[in-house]
Amino acid sequence: MLSRLLRQFLFTLTHLVVNVLVAVQNVYSRFWAKEDDFPCNQGTENDIKVILKHLPNMKKKPKHLVVLADTSEHSLHSLALVVIWSLVAGVPYVSFHDITGELKENEEKLFLEVEKCKKGIPGCIKWSKMPNLNGYTNGTQAHTVTVNIFTSHDGRPKIAQCIRDIANNKVSCKREADEFTAQELGDALALFYPSIPDPDVILYTGSLCSAHGFLPWQLRLTEFVQLSTDHCINVNSYVGALYKYNKCDQRFGK
Amino acid sequence: MSWVKEDVVSFFQLFCIKVVKTGRVPQHIAFIMDGNRRYAKKHNEKTAAGHSKGFDKLSETLKWCLDLGIPEVTVYAFSIENFKRSEEEVSALMDLARDKFQRLIDEIDQINELGVRMHIAGRLSLLPEDLRKMVSQAMLATRYNNKLRLNIAYAYTGRDEISRAASLIVDGVKNNELLSDDIDDELVSHTLELGEPELLVRTSGEVRLSDFMLWQVSNSVLYFTDVLWPEFTIWNLLAAIIHFQRHAPPIKDEEPISDSKLQFLEKLEDRRWRDLEKLVNC
Repeated sequence: MLSRLLRQFLFTLTHLVVNVLVAVQNVYSRFWAKEDDFPCNQGTENDIKVILKHLPNMKKKPKHLVVLADTSEHSLHSLALVVIWSLVAGVPYVSFHDITGELKENEEKLFLEVEKCKKGIPGCIKWSKMPNLNGYTNGTQAHTVTVNIFTSHDGRPKIAQCIRDIANNKVSCKREADEFTAQELGDALALFYPSIPDPDVILYTGSLCSAHGFLPWQLRLTEFVQLSTDHCINVNSYVGALYKYNKCDQRFGK
Repeated sequence: MSWVKEDVVSFFQLFCIKVVKTGRVPQHIAFIMDGNRRYAKKHNEKTAAGHSKGFDKLSETLKWCLDLGIPEVTVYAFSIENFKRSEEEVSALMDLARDKFQRLIDEIDQINELGVRMHIAGRLSLLPEDLRKMVSQAMLATRYNNKLRLNIAYAYTGRDEISRAASLIVDGVKNNELLSDDIDDELVSHTLELGEPELLVRTSGEVRLSDFMLWQVSNSVLYFTDVLWPEFTIWNLLAAIIHFQRHAPPIKDEEPISDSKLQFLEKLEDRRWRDLEKLVNC
């Protein structure tokens, strides 16, 4: 009985200590961020300068960047800025994984917010679900970003739907041996998704790292990179995430 | 070194395990045991020695998991992509597996006493004939144990596992064992070889899944740590579990599965055991 109480007490104490340590670390990192970065965090123009300054140090740039978007923590404005920064950095595909289901409903609003932030920046932003309205390019150097929004419905349920369609002979899937190979099923699955490369990097905020039901098939080699511990999205955390991505050497199997 | 290492837990460690155990413990934990080769390089040893150290660490970890009361552990031992490594390393890894499974069959009484049930998940047809026979034997011999289920992903990738499950389901419809309307994500989840882990730990600082349990980790807590697998300690494991306790999503009640799906799944399970028996007896 006594030892049980003691264990319970120590357990609570351990978690309390961890909570305090995490809180101290958060305060410290926020204080540090304020000291260092806030002066330059005043507008899109400054953001662009910051990105262009750091860009030459990046050995590789992700082709497809995913943000785990939680509308209860992230504003549409900060998500729109990620699109703009990616346009400047030359990341051709940006996707949002809608954790709460609210972003998909507000796709129109996000679209308008991106348009608002984009003013004066060369390049072209394409929305998979919308006609091209803003397809002007400025010279040959302009980048293009294609934006997609996914929900957990695009994950497991869609794979199940693909298998159902194969079983119903609605979709054909090559099968040379007894069992499908990953290549064979992958070819059939490709019909269910926009033809974009598999994501290179998935950005999340907060201390919990989880896929939140994001496309399992495409997640194979995606790097999980933390954007910030406090759900804050700013240009410095974005550049920091690109640096973290650069440190990961991609080595698969070998 | 045997499969579950005894006497690795000091009194103080056991006490700490008991404290952490007071809270919620993951019911299924998965490991990507990464860093064996970097460990070997760091200590100027051969790659094979690194892998051997990695196995020793697995047997220690299994003991810790038993003490923590974790009923299911899944480890990523060998990916289909690993066949692309140098011939020397692949054959050394196959030899290591032969050695360990032979050992397991020799020590089967100890394993049965501990109640460890083995499951080797992957495209077993890619393995050499003798190794395939050995792993089938190990699965059959531990079939009725229920204290700790150890899944070893061998010749495995997540995409391949989904593809194999898809084949079984499509065949099920073709043979009138299943209605195509029954196909949904729940059915796919149950047709896969591996269940959903609540916590996934990857060592050695890499921050991706590398094609491991892609379907199953959709909602799991992912924990990445810089330590190399052979240097993984009880403290790293306890830290991972405390992290899990801080962030774990609430437990979801599993909805009962419909009879028609259940019948199909039972048939699959039966067929799998019969295939294994055939493999061992031929």
